[in-house]
Amino acid sequence: MCHVETSAIHSGYTAADHVHAAVPPIYLSAAFHMESADRGDALSAGTQDGFSYSRVANPTVDVLERRIAALEGGRSAVAVASGMAAVSFALLCAAEGGGRIIAPKTLYGASVDAMASFFPQFGVHTDFVDDINDLAEVEALIGPDTRAIFAESVANPSTEVTDVAALAELAHRHGVPLIVDNTVPTPYLFQPIRWGADVVVHSTTKGISGHGNTLGGVIVDAGNFDWGSPRFPQFTQPELVVSDERAGAWHSFASRFGADAYIRRVRIKYVRTFGAVESPVNAYLQLLGLETLAVRVREQTRSAQAIARHLRGVPHVRRVQYSGLALEDEADAGAQAQRVRRLFAHGVGPVLSFELDGGREQVSRVLDGVRVFSYVPNIGDARSLIVDPARITHREVPAEFREAAGVSDNLIRLSVGLEHVDDLIADLDGAIAHAYGV
Amino acid sequence: MTQLNTKLVHGLPLGTDTTGAVNPPIYNSSTYAFETVESMPRWDYARSGNPTREFLERQIAQLEHGTRGFAFASGLAAIHAVLSIFAPNDRIVVGANIYGGTYSLFNEHFRRWGLLSTPVDTQDESALERAVRGDDLTPPARAVYVETLTNPLLQVNDIAAIARIAHRYGAIVIVDNTFVTPYLQQPLDLGADIVLHSATKYLAGHSDVIAGLAVVRDDALGERVYYAQNRLGGVLAPAECDTVRRGIQTLALRLERQQENALAVAQHLLAHPYVRDVHYPGIHGEPVAAKGLRGCGGVLSFEVAPGIDPADVLDHLRVFRLAVSLGAVESLAELPARMTHFELPRSERLKVGITDELIRLSIGIEDVRDLIDDLDQAFDVAQEHARRRSTDDLYAVLAI
Repeated sequence: MCHVETSAIHSGYTAADHVHAAVPPIYLSAAFHMESADRGDALSAGTQDGFSYSRVANPTVDVLERRIAALEGGRSAVAVASGMAAVSFALLCAAEGGGRIIAPKTLYGASVDAMASFFPQFGVHTDFVDDINDLAEVEALIGPDTRAIFAESVANPSTEVTDVAALAELAHRHGVPLIVDNTVPTPYLFQPIRWGADVVVHSTTKGISGHGNTLGGVIVDAGNFDWGSPRFPQFTQPELVVSDERAGAWHSFASRFGADAYIRRVRIKYVRTFGAVESPVNAYLQLLGLETLAVRVREQTRSAQAIARHLRGVPHVRRVQYSGLALEDEADAGAQAQRVRRLFAHGVGPVLSFELDGGREQVSRVLDGVRVFSYVPNIGDARSLIVDPARITHREVPAEFREAAGVSDNLIRLSVGLEHVDDLIADLDGAIAHAYGV
Repeated sequence: MTQLNTKLVHGLPLGTDTTGAVNPPIYNSSTYAFETVESMPRWDYARSGNPTREFLERQIAQLEHGTRGFAFASGLAAIHAVLSIFAPNDRIVVGANIYGGTYSLFNEHFRRWGLLSTPVDTQDESALERAVRGDDLTPPARAVYVETLTNPLLQVNDIAAIARIAHRYGAIVIVDNTFVTPYLQQPLDLGADIVLHSATKYLAGHSDVIAGLAVVRDDALGERVYYAQNRLGGVLAPAECDTVRRGIQTLALRLERQQENALAVAQHLLAHPYVRDVHYPGIHGEPVAAKGLRGCGGVLSFEVAPGIDPADVLDHLRVFRLAVSLGAVESLAELPARMTHFELPRSERLKVGITDELIRLSIGIEDVRDLIDDLDQAFDVAQEHARRRSTDDLYAVLAI
């Protein structure tokens, strides 16, 4: 099963394990019978796989984890309660204990807030770059404390794409892992691990669940990176939780789990102790959503492309940001356009943004004037969504970062849904005309 | 595991789980894979059966002391399936003041299909016997259909006596046990043949699901009800089955508190100057335990005194919610003549005692002092309105 369309429906689930039910069941069970003292001991020691307590693992969530790992071409995955839990756990697990992270200023607002003003409280600092594709700028910042490079495969709302292949090559040359937030394109359009990324994170709230009805996040581990190197002492120090103290057998995550060291540490330390566990009902909704991932994202991307093309010719639209337009503009020889054509042959996803003439008043009139688009701070929904990033999604981002991300006060972001594209275009045209008193 | 309270919590695990999950999982799957053409899986298609529904069906059969249980999408879907085991020209003797929806199902739906029904006052044993026996032109009834407690007047039906009479003429006894649940009575132990529930009420207990259950006393009836369940298809969805299962776990705790509250409210109303009469099992000293009931449930009804507008009382309640349904954790109040029993023609209604002044209360698990205070303040408003109306009437008379 190598195609995304097939994996999205089948991977990670064996019907024979669940009375042959075609659809995975929802295990609303906090805890699990351990059956015998021996099995309980083995489960707790981690020498036997199984379920004991849903904060650590749950059978329904387990199917989702295996399915997303397969979709991303990863070795294993851990689902968490939100996209920000995925971002925070993935980054802290790499950089905990005084590490540094390199990341672009164009990141999602809450990621910027976490990395710029919150992680430093825990001794984890971020070196921000203006352009993550400027490899010289990135390389210059790599130092002995650098523990990860973090980027979004497609930035939101600018839709600028990251050259994951080049960045992975650079990172690995310095013994540093590349962590990629792949939320906007979803694994249907882009699989960072296939281009060299070591860890992938998602807000599964978005395209993966696809219906705006659940929150979730996931961390996918490629299993290729050597976390046993001296750069990551947290992986080589002995830890009681993975050792057998009574037998005097002490292990570190690296010695105990090898290629699974990182994902095991995420589960055993971050999910188990910080507790941002994904609920079985949410996991079930995501499994249902995933079944239509390919058809949804394909249709949404096609519509987003058409809307972006249309908006370029609409009066009072000063600028359209949709990197996917490079796919139909072969003449565009810019570096960004080439990256899109090389890495994103099937498009960059449902998000696009555009700048209007005027300012706050015109933006407000468009937001209040649309009838099909919902004014909602989310993306990847079956409904089309519209938002003003400067006031809503990027409100907590310092002005300097907003400028770098192209988030001006007269920018509007769209997440294109599954409605008929003609209705969406007519809705935008009407609202824009209304905003300028036509 | 022999005590009811333990069975409420645990049910009977199916033995199919491989994960050790403490709670049975919710299988939303509509279909189940065959490993080979020859090897039929335990479940193949969710309408015919599925693990989540089977857990609930086994549990209700266990609680009602029956051989087999069935879960339906509503109480009326359960009644529909059970009545569908009969044939045209079969006759069923039906308690005279049954739930309005059941009345409509008998008299508007099944009558068109040739299933006959004879209403009777099930408190009157000789009338019941005459109705079951029939006469020279009317063959004996095939079944007697009653509710454990009549709704909304809360008369206690003597299931054992009714069963003795019915069985004498070869009729089976179908009991809607919604108002008392197996926590207070197992009608099958008293001679009934089929038990029905609107599980929406006490069994689920939180006003968050619509569900029905049926339990039979033997395999022959089980086959007939199963055929109706599977062919009519009014089955309960797996997620709803699990909601009912979870409600059942706290049935004993809820019902104990509801009964305690209901008795206190009934006694308060009985002594209230604006109440003409109160209907609650045993409140006037009639025997209840002798009819096989271990308790009286959480529903009561009362008639307001002349001059008081019952709608005035209902419209001014603040803790009680004005709503149909019953058996949930929150207290509800309603006007049967306008809300739950409007399907009965007014003449029929008055004949069985459901007056225009009758208010039904479903008592929840709130602090009973708040419930009594709420009723008292609503009565005060209604009384003030009544006083003003009579003053206005006086002025109107004087003006002439």
